[in-house]
Amino acid sequence: MPEEAEKTTKQKKAEAEVEGFRRDLGPFVVATETTRMAMVFTDAKAPDHPIIFANDSFLKLTGYQRADVLGLTFDALMAGGLDAETMAHVRTAFEGAADTDPEIHYRRKDGSEFWASVFISPVRDESGDVVQHFVSVVDLTKFRLEQTQAKMLIDELNHRVKNTLSTVQSIVWQALRNSTDPDEIREAIEGRLFALSRSHDLLTREDWAGAGLHDLIKEALEPFGVTGGRAARLVVRGENIRMSPNATLALGIAFHELATNAVKYGAFSNDAGSIQVAWTIEPSPKGDRLILHWREQDGPRVAPPSRRGFGLQVIERGLAHQLGGTVHLEFLEEGVSCTINIPAPRGARNG
Amino acid sequence: MGKVLAGRRVLVVEDEMLVLFLIEGFLADLGCTSVTAAATVEEALALIGAQTFDVAMLDSNLGGAKSDPVADALDARGVPFFIATGYSNLATKVGYRDRYVLKKPFQLEDVEASFRHVLSVGREE
Repeated sequence: MPEEAEKTTKQKKAEAEVEGFRRDLGPFVVATETTRMAMVFTDAKAPDHPIIFANDSFLKLTGYQRADVLGLTFDALMAGGLDAETMAHVRTAFEGAADTDPEIHYRRKDGSEFWASVFISPVRDESGDVVQHFVSVVDLTKFRLEQTQAKMLIDELNHRVKNTLSTVQSIVWQALRNSTDPDEIREAIEGRLFALSRSHDLLTREDWAGAGLHDLIKEALEPFGVTGGRAARLVVRGENIRMSPNATLALGIAFHELATNAVKYGAFSNDAGSIQVAWTIEPSPKGDRLILHWREQDGPRVAPPSRRGFGLQVIERGLAHQLGGTVHLEFLEEGVSCTINIPAPRGARNG
Repeated sequence: MGKVLAGRRVLVVEDEMLVLFLIEGFLADLGCTSVTAAATVEEALALIGAQTFDVAMLDSNLGGAKSDPVADALDARGVPFFIATGYSNLATKVGYRDRYVLKKPFQLEDVEASFRHVLSVGREE
């Protein structure tokens, strides 16, 4: 029975083909359906590229339902969320005539947006005719967002650097105006630069979100030996409330100036003196205030300075200006007293 | 040489105390005897509403806030001013293209030239 035998062979061949398709392409079909890469097949034989297959990722990315997409053309779907120029680029890419892969900024039906790269490749039959297009869409939204954030960070960093350079210029300028003695000038410049640098270190450890008031004072007074020999002579009392970066930088310099003065003329200029720093948060009609007292005692008898040098100006006028408060600096006979009254950081009263 | 700021009432809007001290030093060198300083937008607006100024120098950023409302208030009163900024590309941004922008850090000569420009005063008085 040759006919039967032939049929059997044909059948076997067909069965083998189906089996082969499943075996060879089955995994690809599954992969295309489940991959996180958004993918679409379009019909090349009809105008405007009707969509014949769209995977779940594509639906998720574009915000469409499967029923919305099938029967729609790729052009219509894209045109709904793209500007004319990008749309023209996408059409050129379908024709295989684009130099670059289109990058799209697509607005979804709900108004939300995504950035993506679109890769379009022709699918040919045995005779070489283009029968379909395979379109894959790579979501670049996260990448774009990170790029924008990085650019903003660089702009902000640059801004901060330029401002810091102005600050340094001011420090140098004041030192040169106030003295002709090279050692004194160097000491004044270095002391303030390192005070600034320590405040920066402190803020960097906290990602520039701010710094604790306790930490800030400890950091500012550290070069004056308060963690070493003079530790017992400094008493700091108060909650470690979080100060803004702006306040941290201003207070860092101000405490540096207070300590410099104490070492030169005040409680830290002899072996007996001590400094108490304490603060409270107090309500006021204009919002909570942070009231900080710096009190020196048992130092040499204090005489008011004949003129207000740069350091004292920073404490009295500078701090008040930058932090929107008042500063009272008194040269009492028993020791320097400084009261700083500034707006309290938000939420400071409750811890 | 005539001092460009002699007899002028100057408003300086700058939040950072050390930079303010530098500017005040510069202004004194330029013959200014009347400097009023503000650190925030609110403070500056209150001062502009209450006092008369001949010229102003305005930082573009005050404690993290843009100083645009201060620029508008100065415009509304016809007070000439220029903007000082740490941003390198500020002069090209919308709203600043018609402004005179001075980049930080700046020298005494830059500040003097900026005041001369906005006051339309040449080098020879």
